[in-house]
Amino acid sequence: MNGHVKNMHLQQLVEKAATLLCFLLLLAVDSTKTVAAGRNQECGYDLQQTLRLSRLVHKETGNLIKKYKASEGEMAELFCKASVSGIPDPNISGLEPSERIASIYTQLQVFSPHLKRVHEQQMDLQPKSPLLNLINIVRDQSRRLTLRINNIYRIFFPNLPLPEPAGGPTTLPPPQNVFQQKVYGCVVLTTYKKLLTNIFKDMRTLKSKVCRRAPASEFNFFR
Amino acid sequence: MSSVVLQLFGLALLTSVLLAEHGYGNHLVIAPQSPVVEIDRPVRPENLSCVAEQENDTISPFLSCRWEVLGPQTEAVQTTYKLMVEVLLGNTYNVTTTHNRARVSLGTFPSHMELDVWVLAHNLLGTIESEHLRQDANDLVKAYPPSSVKVIAEQGFPTSLLVSWAHPIHKTIIKLTYQIRFCPHGSHTWSYLRVPHASTYDDKTSFRLQNLQPVKDYVIQVRCKCFRSNLCHWSNWSTNVTETTPEDRPTSKPDLWQISGRGKSEEVQLICKDPEFSNGRITAFGITIQYHKNGSLEREIIPVNESRADRSSNQRRVTLLKRISLADKPFVRVCVIANNSVGTSPEACLGIPAKPSEQLTVKDMKVWSQEGQMFVEWKQPNNTAVTEYVIEWVSHGKRDWQRENRSTRATVIKGVLDRFVCYNVSVYPIQFGRIWKPACLEAYLEQGAPLQGPSISKSNPAYDKAELVWGQIPLDKRRGFITNYTIFYRKEDQLLEPIHVPANITSYTLTKLSGNTKYDVWIRASTIAGSANSSHHSFSTLKYAPGMVEGIVVGVSLGFLFFVLMTILLCIYKKDLIKENLWPQIPNPGESTIGNWSPDYPLKAETPKENSVSGVCVLDVGVCEVKLGFEEDKTSLSLKKDKYLSEEHSSGIGGSSCMSSPRQSVSDSDEGPDLADSTASTVQYSSVVASSGYKGQTPSSQSQHSIFSRSESTQPLLDSEEHPDMLVQEGCRQDQHSLRQSLFTHSAENQNTIESDDVSLQGVEQHDFCPLKEDAEQTTEWDSLSAADGESTRPGSSYMPQLGGYRPQ
Repeated sequence: MNGHVKNMHLQQLVEKAATLLCFLLLLAVDSTKTVAAGRNQECGYDLQQTLRLSRLVHKETGNLIKKYKASEGEMAELFCKASVSGIPDPNISGLEPSERIASIYTQLQVFSPHLKRVHEQQMDLQPKSPLLNLINIVRDQSRRLTLRINNIYRIFFPNLPLPEPAGGPTTLPPPQNVFQQKVYGCVVLTTYKKLLTNIFKDMRTLKSKVCRRAPASEFNFFR
Repeated sequence: MSSVVLQLFGLALLTSVLLAEHGYGNHLVIAPQSPVVEIDRPVRPENLSCVAEQENDTISPFLSCRWEVLGPQTEAVQTTYKLMVEVLLGNTYNVTTTHNRARVSLGTFPSHMELDVWVLAHNLLGTIESEHLRQDANDLVKAYPPSSVKVIAEQGFPTSLLVSWAHPIHKTIIKLTYQIRFCPHGSHTWSYLRVPHASTYDDKTSFRLQNLQPVKDYVIQVRCKCFRSNLCHWSNWSTNVTETTPEDRPTSKPDLWQISGRGKSEEVQLICKDPEFSNGRITAFGITIQYHKNGSLEREIIPVNESRADRSSNQRRVTLLKRISLADKPFVRVCVIANNSVGTSPEACLGIPAKPSEQLTVKDMKVWSQEGQMFVEWKQPNNTAVTEYVIEWVSHGKRDWQRENRSTRATVIKGVLDRFVCYNVSVYPIQFGRIWKPACLEAYLEQGAPLQGPSISKSNPAYDKAELVWGQIPLDKRRGFITNYTIFYRKEDQLLEPIHVPANITSYTLTKLSGNTKYDVWIRASTIAGSANSSHHSFSTLKYAPGMVEGIVVGVSLGFLFFVLMTILLCIYKKDLIKENLWPQIPNPGESTIGNWSPDYPLKAETPKENSVSGVCVLDVGVCEVKLGFEEDKTSLSLKKDKYLSEEHSSGIGGSSCMSSPRQSVSDSDEGPDLADSTASTVQYSSVVASSGYKGQTPSSQSQHSIFSRSESTQPLLDSEEHPDMLVQEGCRQDQHSLRQSLFTHSAENQNTIESDDVSLQGVEQHDFCPLKEDAEQTTEWDSLSAADGESTRPGSSYMPQLGGYRPQ
């Protein structure tokens, strides 16, 4: 009799524990979904903002180039197509999203000293030119775009540290004459615009794929 | 070490006490040497808002923020505010101010970056932080209004307008959403329309407004803001763009109405308002008139020329269509259509009876004004189906009307009404297009004081009253219903009690006035809103009341008559006394005893002859002389002839009278004692003063004869003799009568005696004794006449004045 009663109590206890376990499981699943949704939402917003910003910098760089060419005269079209050594590559390297984002981040950082150099040269060449303001705008926006890219990388790859630029600090060209400075400035700007175009494309692709899928399975979309 | 711990403990204790005493640390009182100053802790800034405005093609790098400080602030100790702006993932910017607004420069506007904005309020008691404003930087942008806004009216689409514009800023900087508002021209009631995002997603910047009214001017504006958030700032509205929708055919009936003479005339004017939805310019009205139920239709097209005033006016144009006569026509049915360039309106019909029946008239009509509007209320006619009502109001020949449906019992007049204008408001019941007899009332939208007072047209003053007649104030200057008139009047600056007269009276009789007094009167006309005085009018009351003059005249006449009667009666009753006083009894010399004195003739037998002779001699010396001449022939008068000779020695009286001459002569003679004996018992003599009549008699010795010695006559003295100055007048008057009488009587008696010398007699008859001048002239005449008589007439002229001084005695 006693053994039977004990079994009965044990059975009831197990049932209650199972019910509680089920409830806890449900809670856990729901909270996981909520986190995923929030993360997805955050992903979309940051990517969207980064995409818009990259587009804005691209557009302002394009305006800057137009003004630059306009200020340099008819020859600007020719020397802007010249090849100048020491200009960073506008292409984005890497196969994995993390690599590509890291590449974007690195490229932006690499271009920053060049943009600064162009600004300094234009300060010397045309101290009162409206180009200076435009260059400043592009530089500021580029800096913010860099921060955006950094932010996205941290969101999507929180456990992966951002790699430093390969080859150490950016090497700037040696002192140049005026013409070389003009050519250098134009080539830097046009190359930078190409980089921005590539960034925009990558961001758009990233947004279209990453923000619709689960974070775990989204890293092969560049392939 | 222990002293430092002790100091810290003491300081903490002091601080805790201060905090406890001042509301748990909300206030701190500082009292050095100056008066106590109470300091509040900084109040937390609330309602923080920031905006970054567009600047050319980009966004300004300056972020302007403002916040509110709701709470006590110590003015003595300033609170500073630090505006903090953190660009997430980037830099932080700040600016410090003491106001509740600040502007911070961000270098380049951080488009598509999140901002964290907050304010730190700081004073001596600490620092407090506002809520953080975390937003995308683009949500704080206030862009320019859309540029190049255009509105296009497309033919064939009378109810729509196409609106287009340009982005004020590039879409890469900020993506905008747009809002359009529009309203009919002149109206300030805007309709808002949010442009769907799809319309601008692909750089589309146009939108078609629909469900508009044809041929109507619309004012359109556009504005924009970022499309992502409702927190974005709207730009300002773009400038007005006005466009007119295309024409459409009239979609509503013209408003047909009539102006009748209301029984005074059989002519009716047909008037018509353009259709409410004319959808274009009405170019003509087509009118159809049917005088009999199954009679023929008269059709006519009435073209309409729109004036500039019609175009600019917001009111519907009223067109006079036609005048028709209702003579011998009990009922006329009129139908009208309106045409514009696109099409024709529906038909409006009206049945006009020649004599509207009173069977169907609204009851208990009321009209009142309230808050600048005029309301009309009425009750439905009994047992009658009314299809609609027409409310008509007329003023100064201006007529307007509106239609109300059959269930309406009260409405507001929708037309433009003027203040201080009298409107004649009528409510016409309409039964299936047939007009019935209206109910009418007069009303004002707002009453005011009359612009002028009534004009006093006439005053009819009497002795103690005056009737005043005044004219009513012209309707356009009345400006309200006259409630009453007040008559003010005064006399000689004394204002009398005013008199209130009802408004329907235009004449009044002032009573209890004083006679022969000037009154100043004026009339005040009053409305409920004020009053106005007439000009002053003056009148004078009459001096006499009617009949008073007649009474006075009658009274005076009666009094005079009474006086006359009394005088007459007095004269009658006191005749003897008067006669005795005025004409004293003078003895007739002819009857005296001296007449009988003659030694040669018996006294009684000679008396008549003596009388006749003496009488003639009194009147005219000439005659006397003639008579004497005759008598000289008479031998019986020889004695007298002697006496004449002694005349030149006699006194004046004796020399002036033929009759008395002998007597004087007698008195001068020695026979005086005898005569004295005979006459002493009768009359005393009197002194006689010579009159001017003697001048001609003895011109050379005039001065010597101016005073006469006392006569010895026994006759009593006359008044004239005692008063020489009365001599001429009295003598003239009395002699004029008495002598003349005696002249004619005696001359008649002695006509036979003097027939031989008519010339002399006539000269006597024409002689006037009174004026001396005449005497002189007639003396001249007399001289010329008597010249023919030679020496015999000379003595006569010298006697002439003496006749005046003598009377027949």
